[in-house]
Amino acid sequence: MNKLLYKECKLCLVPQIPLFFVFALMMLIPNYPCLVAAFFTCNSIFYSFSQALVDNDLLFSTLLPVSKADVVRGKLRFVVLIQLATLAVYVPVIFLRHAISPAGNAAGVDACFTLLAGALVLFALFNALFLPHFYRAPHRVGRHFLIVTLAIFGWIAVFEGFMIVCGAARDSLPFFAWVETHLDCFPATRDAWLAQLAALAAGAAIYAGANAWTRRRTIRAFEEQDL
Amino acid sequence: MELLQVKELEKHYDRFTLDRVSFSLEPGYIMGFIGRNGAGKTTTIKAMLNLIHRDGGEVTVNGRSYSEHENECKKDIGFVLGEFDCYRKSTLRKITEVTRRFYDSWDEAAYADCLRRFALDESKRVSELSAGMRVKYALALALSHDAKLLILDEPTSGLDPVSRDDLLELFRSLIEDGTRSILFSTHIISDLEKCADYVTYIKGGKILESTDIVSFREGYRLVSGETAQLETARERLIGFKAHAFGFTGLIRTQDAARFADCRIAPADLESIMIYTEQEDGHEQAAV
Repeated sequence: MNKLLYKECKLCLVPQIPLFFVFALMMLIPNYPCLVAAFFTCNSIFYSFSQALVDNDLLFSTLLPVSKADVVRGKLRFVVLIQLATLAVYVPVIFLRHAISPAGNAAGVDACFTLLAGALVLFALFNALFLPHFYRAPHRVGRHFLIVTLAIFGWIAVFEGFMIVCGAARDSLPFFAWVETHLDCFPATRDAWLAQLAALAAGAAIYAGANAWTRRRTIRAFEEQDL
Repeated sequence: MELLQVKELEKHYDRFTLDRVSFSLEPGYIMGFIGRNGAGKTTTIKAMLNLIHRDGGEVTVNGRSYSEHENECKKDIGFVLGEFDCYRKSTLRKITEVTRRFYDSWDEAAYADCLRRFALDESKRVSELSAGMRVKYALALALSHDAKLLILDEPTSGLDPVSRDDLLELFRSLIEDGTRSILFSTHIISDLEKCADYVTYIKGGKILESTDIVSFREGYRLVSGETAQLETARERLIGFKAHAFGFTGLIRTQDAARFADCRIAPADLESIMIYTEQEDGHEQAAV
């Protein structure tokens, strides 16, 4: 399996992937919906899949002495590696944002660990919607990405909208106030740290569970596909 | 033992059926897999390699079932499906660096030897190679992991005559030690005359014949006669062309005695294919 991951990194890593990590710096923009930055990682993965299509990557991989299921597993690991690397880039940017501009974000979630949970759910959504469709009908990659983009921005609207509502209505419900002081802020207290780490764990669980489902569904889609 | 055995391979599409395709190949030979465009050559190769789902049939490589031991079988096979057209912006060095990791039997010395022999420059990108050099690169990869069976789908179709001849000579040299075999699909019949030991002829998804090239040629004769003789000869002709002075057609060798009044000549592969492709002995438009 590591051989396939190596293959992906050597032959399918388009320049947009490392380049789009820079979009993490968008978290430094005052009052910007920070979760949008995660969309750019999905965008770079889409570029990689489009280029793989041009490069006959599916045929090359399938002719190697590995099963079709392993080809899918290798690709999914590559995607997960990019997404986790994105989150790793976010961590120092979160601290940087807090250091240079500790004020809250009126446009949605603050730069904090809850944002990482939101990004994990966004990535899970991207993987679940994009990968099975790509392996079922690779030549319709643009259409798949358009549908996935709509779903992703739906999630961004729900997530960021919820944080805005909690901020605006903090005095009307204790729950909203708790979200505002525990999840939608840079964690300054032990309770806030625990709440955000719990949110991150929940995001990780959703991401892992969704990826297991995506893997099964994508393998089935690719097995059924005639090359 | 046969290096490759294809038994009763089937694949059904709405408008095309691969109909119980069977043939086999022993080590040390080149088999030409011929048929016109759309006859089912590529479909057969893809069905053999599980690139498309089969509706029936069995493929064995080196005595092992391809379906049950796909990864092991793939290690014994070198593929050239058309010219090598993957990762056009990557260098050969990078692609080789990835490929070698998948084969326990990868032989670095053999690879270096192939680079020298084929004059391949590892620092070049795939897009910088000519069509012939791309085929040679695919062969270099196959030979470096000691593939016993080379499956080549239309490897010469984009090449000029000199490059084609060069490649055909290379094919002959590759099987000289008697351990390797080549299955070579093409619609360029003259290529087969130069290098094939066996011919498998597919038409409309069915194998018409699979035999050694000499027997294949000996099984047919070209017959020429005058227009008056055509009416009586017509039912025995596999295909024919009528012209101002008479006709020329293809017959089975066993029917030659019935054409005692006509001129009989040995048939070449190209004529056999051209006349056979005329449906049910229908006349082809005279040139």
